[in-house]
Amino acid sequence: MKAVKIRCTLNGRPVTVEAPPAARLLDVLRGPLGLTGTKEGCGEGECGSCTVLLDGAPVNACLVLVGQVEGRAVRTVEGLGDLADLSPLQEAFVKEGGSQCGICTPGFLVSAEALLAAIPQPGETDIREALAGNLCRCTGYQRIVEAVKVASKERASREPG
Amino acid sequence: MSLAELPLHAFERPGSLADVCATLSRRAGKGEETVLLAGGTDWVVAQHMSPLSLGGELPLVLDVSRVPEIRGIRITGERAAIGAAATYLEVRHHAVLTRRVPMLTAMARDVGALQIQARGTLGGNLATASPAADGSAALMALDADVILANVHGERRVPIGQWFTGYRRTARADDEIIVRIEFTLPRTGGHQLWRKVGTRAAQSISKVALAAIGEYERGRCVRVGLGMGSVAPVTASLPTVRALAVSPGPQVVTDEHLDAAVRRDISPIDDVRSTAAYRAHVASALVRGFFHTLRPVSSAG
Repeated sequence: MKAVKIRCTLNGRPVTVEAPPAARLLDVLRGPLGLTGTKEGCGEGECGSCTVLLDGAPVNACLVLVGQVEGRAVRTVEGLGDLADLSPLQEAFVKEGGSQCGICTPGFLVSAEALLAAIPQPGETDIREALAGNLCRCTGYQRIVEAVKVASKERASREPG
Repeated sequence: MSLAELPLHAFERPGSLADVCATLSRRAGKGEETVLLAGGTDWVVAQHMSPLSLGGELPLVLDVSRVPEIRGIRITGERAAIGAAATYLEVRHHAVLTRRVPMLTAMARDVGALQIQARGTLGGNLATASPAADGSAALMALDADVILANVHGERRVPIGQWFTGYRRTARADDEIIVRIEFTLPRTGGHQLWRKVGTRAAQSISKVALAAIGEYERGRCVRVGLGMGSVAPVTASLPTVRALAVSPGPQVVTDEHLDAAVRRDISPIDDVRSTAAYRAHVASALVRGFFHTLRPVSSAG
């Protein structure tokens, strides 16, 4: 099917992109929208590398067709922070060694962001459940879990008042 | 239909159930295929394995994930109605379902990780009709009804008549699943959801058991069971169910249960497990559930 205009909110800004509506959200993010932070791992919804937030909920961008996000809010890892202004999670992943080869890291950051938005002070079980849809073959997960704990404390200390 | 051809599909996002039914009616009449897409956790994955269409007609993809009439969860008295496009996440966090049907909400939490829970739906689970489907096993234990609609109106199919063969269902080409209905289990009984897989999240079950035991004045009056991955379709275990009512959970022996399970399932060897392991686990899960029923019945 030929490209059509699809409108959504992307990382807080309204965008219009021309794409075939049955293309995967993952391909449209990485292609026409130029947001290559979202990675393709398995392409089958198993590994979570392509996790983005759709109206605040973590989803696998490899299983969402871009026509399905018309009028909705998408947030990718680029929407969390940037080199000049890392989010508490991004900073904690760097400091705690929560990232090694890095291919899974954007997906973990996005899943963890959704967790901290819902549960600002999560317990270890909350963290492990929230990250259960993200696979990492390098870290053994422990440093990722520690990074999320550190980030939750940092976020709390940044809270106004 | 390979992944490379995915963008070539025609795609529409109908705004109402009437629009969906009209499109299905028109296309089914001409023998044209239509894909009803909600969370995509099954169909999009399947595109990886599909061969190229080689210029053949691609199906129309109808995004039904936001059709208002098939969304939401409603409780009316003792009846529950779950929209076909309600996600597992919505099921999992529903207050009444959590209190009255913890077996169902436990299933919704186990079916996959959060990314799958946020997209997958019970309607999709019933439509794709995988014998390994967790949602179908839970709905079988509830003896749910599947409500279908087409341009002429609605019809109701008891879940026992829903699966007509391996990945085949009673849905006609011009119909869409609109909701699933069931009676809330009586309070004070026992419910169990057990999923046996390779890991806790993101694994397709080797065997799954959904079970409900209901009591009136201390007597077991109904046992509902649904088992996944042990037969070409979701198993309802009718012989085991009958033993729960007569002679009853406190009398029936483990050996009788094992024989009934053997009669009710036909497991196979495949990539995820073996027939022998599945048969062993199926018996162990059923025995375990009946053991939990005994104290209630003897105390009643």
